[in-house]
Amino acid sequence: MTLTGQTSVKALGTDAVAAASAAVPSRRRRRSARSTGPAGTVLRYLASAVVVLAALLPLAWMTISGFKARDDVVTSPFQFFPDIWQPQNYVAILQDPAFVRALGVTFTGAILFTALSLTVNSMAAYVFARLDFAFKRTLWAIVLGTMFIPQMAILLTSYIVVTRMGMLNTLAVLVIPGATAAVHIFFIRQFYLGIPTSIEEAALLDGASRWQIFLRIFLPLSKPVFVVVGITSFLAFWNAYVWPIMTITEPDSSLTQIQQYLASFRSERRVEYGMLLAGSTLAALPVITLFLIFQRYIISGIRISGIK
Amino acid sequence: MSALTSEPAPAGRAPAVTEPPDPPAANKPRKKDNRTAFLMLAPALILLTTFVLVPLVYAWFVSFQRWSFYEPSVFVGLRNFRMVLADPTFRESIVRGLTFSAICVPVILVIAFCFATLVKTMGARMATVLKVSIYIPTVISGVIASIIFVLVYEYRQGLANYLLSFLGVADVPWLGSARTALYALTLPQIWLALGLASLIMLAGLLDIPESYYESAELEGANWFQRTVYITIPLLKNIILYLLVTTFVATIQQYELPLVMTDGGPTQSTLLPNLLIFQRFTSDLYPGYSIAAALLLFLVLGGLSAVIFRLINSEKAVDG
Repeated sequence: MTLTGQTSVKALGTDAVAAASAAVPSRRRRRSARSTGPAGTVLRYLASAVVVLAALLPLAWMTISGFKARDDVVTSPFQFFPDIWQPQNYVAILQDPAFVRALGVTFTGAILFTALSLTVNSMAAYVFARLDFAFKRTLWAIVLGTMFIPQMAILLTSYIVVTRMGMLNTLAVLVIPGATAAVHIFFIRQFYLGIPTSIEEAALLDGASRWQIFLRIFLPLSKPVFVVVGITSFLAFWNAYVWPIMTITEPDSSLTQIQQYLASFRSERRVEYGMLLAGSTLAALPVITLFLIFQRYIISGIRISGIK
Repeated sequence: MSALTSEPAPAGRAPAVTEPPDPPAANKPRKKDNRTAFLMLAPALILLTTFVLVPLVYAWFVSFQRWSFYEPSVFVGLRNFRMVLADPTFRESIVRGLTFSAICVPVILVIAFCFATLVKTMGARMATVLKVSIYIPTVISGVIASIIFVLVYEYRQGLANYLLSFLGVADVPWLGSARTALYALTLPQIWLALGLASLIMLAGLLDIPESYYESAELEGANWFQRTVYITIPLLKNIILYLLVTTFVATIQQYELPLVMTDGGPTQSTLLPNLLIFQRFTSDLYPGYSIAAALLLFLVLGGLSAVIFRLINSEKAVDG
């Protein structure tokens, strides 16, 4: 499980249940033609509205409150919309160099982390899917076993390990430790197991090396699975809070992560709710956008064929 | 990556693989790719060893020691574990974690089931809207969720008290009172966890062949009967899987109380992992927190491993 944050648990869910064909968006299956009558239809749409509202209301409120005047975020009685819409909070937070720096450094870190995660995990997945080598079963059992280690069991001693390695307050401590995750290896391997062997057998006959087969045949086919693993990794890094507060300890460090920034903003500048919510909105924007762009892949990546 | 292409794939090796596809059924082992395999595995194995296996082994080592950053460690046997188990604060945090899970897990599963049932009856476009909507909170960080819900629970007057005022309920100091704080935390937890559980449930539901329902309908089974006799039995594994994974995730939650309440007021939101984390950051000797983390690890890791095996083996049996 990754050290990078809460998303690891989600990742386990997403990945462990996913199967090979999973990540390829599939056509929706035929819906039942069972009719429920007009009353039923109204009820169903009403229930749908409740679902959408409950899921999105907190986020909508956050975004809208960012447009309120300083003293209007928390008012009695409660008010959902601002009296006057004003962009001051968004402007002010974007003019805070620490906020912009946190966004930038978190984004950079997330890209590096995602790239490292995809590289390392896909190579391992390919090896476990296709190659025959000594201790394969033992190694696979160990790799799989690490999936069941709760984060907290290794969080504390991981901190001790990285401290002893002199990694505190470096970009490396954020990017490297969580990059390899058994769930991702497992997920990519499942996908690779679903690729027919005939293509690579032909390539092997032509004298291609295993490396070439991985780079020329497997990688180009990996897009759907890479989208799912890549986004899971990106989210894990972007949303990480506990690992950064443990390892980026210098105050006002240039490596301060975005979640760290928001949490300390909340405790230090308690009254500036408008700016805090504007900052939170801006920090949530990249991940929501990313999800919306790739939602097809992610949603169809959550399949159960693997655990049926 | 391109550097990897030029990695010396042993020149003489490739032709050796060009043996006939069906070698005589001799006991001769297949040619192994040890060199390539270990080269490609090396980064993953090194990282997993350094940042997962070493910390795990080290945790077991430290848990039997009186250990600190500054002194040579002393073997103390099971003292750390005894300290944890005898500590009322730890036991109370476990009870709190179980209470928290006892609320969140059933609610998540029931809503997920209703959601899946609802989505199944909707047209393709509406189904997509529902699926995307319910999953969006899942990509939000615990910190942002905490910030939002702290203000939702604001005493005078957040969204929660506002909505309740319509029911004639007087303003409640949700996070400010030890009586309500833990219950208040269940809402953001459910909000964050619902998306994944719902979509897994939905995938399970859609996997049930439509013909089962059609024949049941021909026999005159109503919706309730179809749910009890077809849907739930066929979703048994999914529900079991969700039950365990949601429980394991919920009882380990500590980011929400860390940001929202810091365990307070009067430890009323001090969930087990938060206690461990706080003790680790404040104690000079981390033996206690590491021992406590390992105790949880044994229970939760074991539980996850068992369920994973169980579900996979049933799959093998059921075909």
